[in-house]
Amino acid sequence: MAVKLALQQIRHCRAGFAELVDLAAQAERCFLEQIEIDMAGASWFDADMCAAFGALLYRFGHNLNTVRLLNIPNLVEQILSKNAFLSSYGRKPIPDTWGTTIPYQRFETKDERYFASYIERELVQRPEIPAMSPRLLKKFRESIFEIFSNAVIHSETELGIFSCGQFYPKKNLLVFSVADLGIGIPGNVKKKIGSQLLPERAIACAVDGRFTTKSGPIPGGLGLKLLSDFIRLNKGAFVIVSDKGYWELRRGQTLTDKFRNAFPGTVVTIEINTADTHSYALRSEISPSEVF
Amino acid sequence: MSDALTIQVYEVVGSVLCVASDDGQKVHDRIAAALREGRNVVVSFRNVNGLTSAFLNAAIGQLYDSFSEGEIRAKVRVEDMEQDDLVLLKRVVETAKAYFKDPERFSDAAREVLGDDDA
Repeated sequence: MAVKLALQQIRHCRAGFAELVDLAAQAERCFLEQIEIDMAGASWFDADMCAAFGALLYRFGHNLNTVRLLNIPNLVEQILSKNAFLSSYGRKPIPDTWGTTIPYQRFETKDERYFASYIERELVQRPEIPAMSPRLLKKFRESIFEIFSNAVIHSETELGIFSCGQFYPKKNLLVFSVADLGIGIPGNVKKKIGSQLLPERAIACAVDGRFTTKSGPIPGGLGLKLLSDFIRLNKGAFVIVSDKGYWELRRGQTLTDKFRNAFPGTVVTIEINTADTHSYALRSEISPSEVF
Repeated sequence: MSDALTIQVYEVVGSVLCVASDDGQKVHDRIAAALREGRNVVVSFRNVNGLTSAFLNAAIGQLYDSFSEGEIRAKVRVEDMEQDDLVLLKRVVETAKAYFKDPERFSDAAREVLGDDDA
């Protein structure tokens, strides 16, 4: 007999992630089951949330479950077919006429170069993507690479890295999300300092920049700090979900919370304000001779 | 640095995008090998069009584990970097110096900032 689950609206906000972590918890013990997810109540699905959703479904499949998505509302089915998410679940992809999707894709941790090509192809070289200033585009692209590198270096995932993006033209918003099924930030912090922190505080710690979970000869600890600095200037948003922790930076304000259930890894989402005209001018010039 | 070995990052990585830590490691290994031979090194980022802190940590930051700050300052020079990439590299270097001066500092910083929660 099938395990029947249901999904409501999924937006890229705390409530949307809460819905997904609850789904994860309900299927946590499923093994060799038929999992049917009734999506009749999912009247909206922010396409970028496919990274987190896809990661969860992949994990269900890894536990030898068969996943079926049922009663997907037409609009949602269209969106999730355009970004190729539903191709993994038997649907045919449909052309993205308006070019607003950055397709859903799964990567192995060794695929950093492949990921870079995907970003160039699907984001940088596409005429549909909004005209951002060259410097903003460069910062955005580098931010995405930082997120991916962060997952490669810290997550210890064996099940891959999942990414997806969406452009919302009316809101001047470009959202990109990367999810992994690794140890999670709280688990990583615990390994490093030996103490258990509240998950949302562990995330805050990781973003702080004065701390790295890296050990050994290659230093670290900068990636998430760089991202938060950029997002503050851009007046966009930066959301991290890891284990039970929720951390959000939006319009300069941080918000933390704790979920009832855990995401089995980490999701990092950035929302870029594409209308940003900030010049990202540097406060002072640095000479190459001053770097070391 | 007339006798300097010039390392073209683009040639070592084979891409305009220098984003992977593994690629940074290749650059690091060349720089470190040259330094061990007592040579000056010029690291050229000509034609590089994207960098991450992960790449620079591996390529440059890691040098501070094996070589002194003075040695690196005297023997390594970077060229052909845009200003914002220089800013990123400067942050990577400062972080690396702090990390290797006291690797536990980062743990202490975490405890100092947050305390233990015993969650």
